[in-house]
Amino acid sequence: MTAVIDKGKCNGCELCALYCPLDVIHMEDGIAVIRYPDECWHCGACRQDCAHDAITFQFAPAMLGI
Amino acid sequence: MASILGSETHRLKADVAVIGGGTAGLNTALAAAEAGADVLVVDKAHIQRSGAIAGGIDHFFAYLDTGPSWDTREAYLGWVSRVARGAANIKIHEKVYCDELTAAMERIEKMGVSLHQPDGTILRTQALGQPGPIAINFDGKLLKPKMAFAVKKKHIRVINRVQVSNIYLHNGEFAGFAGYDIRNGDFYEIQSKAVVISTGNTNRMFKSQTGNPFNLWYCPANTGDLHRAAFDAGVELANVEYIRLTIVPKGFSAPGFNAFFGMGGKFVNGLGQQFMQNYHPMGDKAPRNMMVWGALQEVRAGRGPIYVDVRHLSAKDLAHLFLQLGIDKDTLPEFLKAKGYDREGALIELTVSEPMQARPSELCGSGIKIDETCASNVPGLFAAGDASDQMGCLHMCMAGGYAAGKHAARYAAKVAHHAPLPEKALDDERARVFAPLLRKSGMAAGEFENIVRIVATDHFGPYKSEVSLTSAIAKLNGLDHFREDLKANNLHELMRCHEAMNIQSVAKIVAHAALARKESRFVPYHYRSDYPETNEDCCGLVVVRKDGETGVATRFERLHYDA
Repeated sequence: MTAVIDKGKCNGCELCALYCPLDVIHMEDGIAVIRYPDECWHCGACRQDCAHDAITFQFAPAMLGI
Repeated sequence: MASILGSETHRLKADVAVIGGGTAGLNTALAAAEAGADVLVVDKAHIQRSGAIAGGIDHFFAYLDTGPSWDTREAYLGWVSRVARGAANIKIHEKVYCDELTAAMERIEKMGVSLHQPDGTILRTQALGQPGPIAINFDGKLLKPKMAFAVKKKHIRVINRVQVSNIYLHNGEFAGFAGYDIRNGDFYEIQSKAVVISTGNTNRMFKSQTGNPFNLWYCPANTGDLHRAAFDAGVELANVEYIRLTIVPKGFSAPGFNAFFGMGGKFVNGLGQQFMQNYHPMGDKAPRNMMVWGALQEVRAGRGPIYVDVRHLSAKDLAHLFLQLGIDKDTLPEFLKAKGYDREGALIELTVSEPMQARPSELCGSGIKIDETCASNVPGLFAAGDASDQMGCLHMCMAGGYAAGKHAARYAAKVAHHAPLPEKALDDERARVFAPLLRKSGMAAGEFENIVRIVATDHFGPYKSEVSLTSAIAKLNGLDHFREDLKANNLHELMRCHEAMNIQSVAKIVAHAALARKESRFVPYHYRSDYPETNEDCCGLVVVRKDGETGVATRFERLHYDA
């Protein structure tokens, strides 16, 4: 688990997909999608760049459970 | 599909090319452009958010000459001599950091990021063996985007999302490099009179605490791509035998160490006892490697897990601490909250992080060996930031990156013509780069990379001996034939294939370098169980260089310190 995009809030501005340092976020049908969730660094850059609060973070059970 | 196979080729020229647009690289680009050079920046990600400080940064180390003896250039260099002894070259440090410090701080402010607190004061804390409180706490959340904006304002050319795959020389001097666009598959052939490599270290080489190789303290996009390419082109590397570790929150390899202990957090074991005084006279403010060493010993003795106790801090200090943690790692405060650490009286569990191929101290680097002008042994090829053997951390990357840009521009100005690139080698490179896309079946990059990680971790991550290192080299060499099996289904996976191969190649170099250092230093970063003591005769650099097709030659270069 990783960055999570609320499709209802995403306006397709592409900034998160443009800047994601791990190439994790891609555009699909005009909406940003977390294509490689396991490769997220949790740096939070996408959330900071999102003007529509469409991005939140969920932490994997392995992160919370150990 | 045609473009995916690299049929679209871009041939570009520049006076100074910068590979890696993180903190060091962008400062390099600014310096070279200000010196009048035509500059081109190439980044595997996007310079807006690439590199170690993508999501933010909260500390900048600086002496400010405010009066106390700890706040001077001499005291700072004394710190370097103590905590980076045998790895940092003081003469280079003076040139790339001390001589550039004032300008670097002014540059940060000019970019629109303040090193001051909202009330106008400068707040500094002490940790990591520092001589006094020299870690400026500041809000660097937007430092990277502001740096990218400064580059844009200077109209510096930038190519984002291009992974550089190889470097070419002509008559022993730097000529250019090749790479491909990980988003559209275009192939790039770039000639430049000088190049500065600033691509960080190799951060996915060892097993991580949760098993996910991207849950790392440092940026997982840094995979030794240019360590490998430079080494193959005959460039000397140094300080690569060291395996860096730090202390991170359990479950999330995020920064926070400097903030926790800088603010006065207590490092305690599972019995609630402070233990660092048993390992270093500076206790919880000891150098990073000693904090890691202490933690490892406590856990091994059955006194784990380890925690940071911040219950004694005032509400104001706690608020500042959590603010700083969120500046350094945007998502860390909510992680800590999800773990329940915001509850009254909670101890925050920590752990020793994943190992990584990186510098043994805050005050040096690990990679391309540079001199006082940031030049490598190959004319025209310079290095800056973590990718060099002498720079690391924000303070040195800001200052030293700029120094590298000045020197590279000066060098390029003296070169009359661009050196030619080898046509045949470029054709071969294009075929090599795209080969994993053409295979109908094969091994996934992650599987290959995981084997490398297991071997590296088991044999030198971080404990090692002649037997373990020799065995690691044999196993890593044994993986070579799988390289021909790597299969990518798209360009993203293609990038991961090349990263996996680069990690394997750098792991071999690391093991060879570690074999040559017959002592222990910066324990546990270089802990040889067959040579457990530090030997003053080994106070210096193990320099590695390619020897023949597959071999690694090593030589020793002594370093001298006044203190």
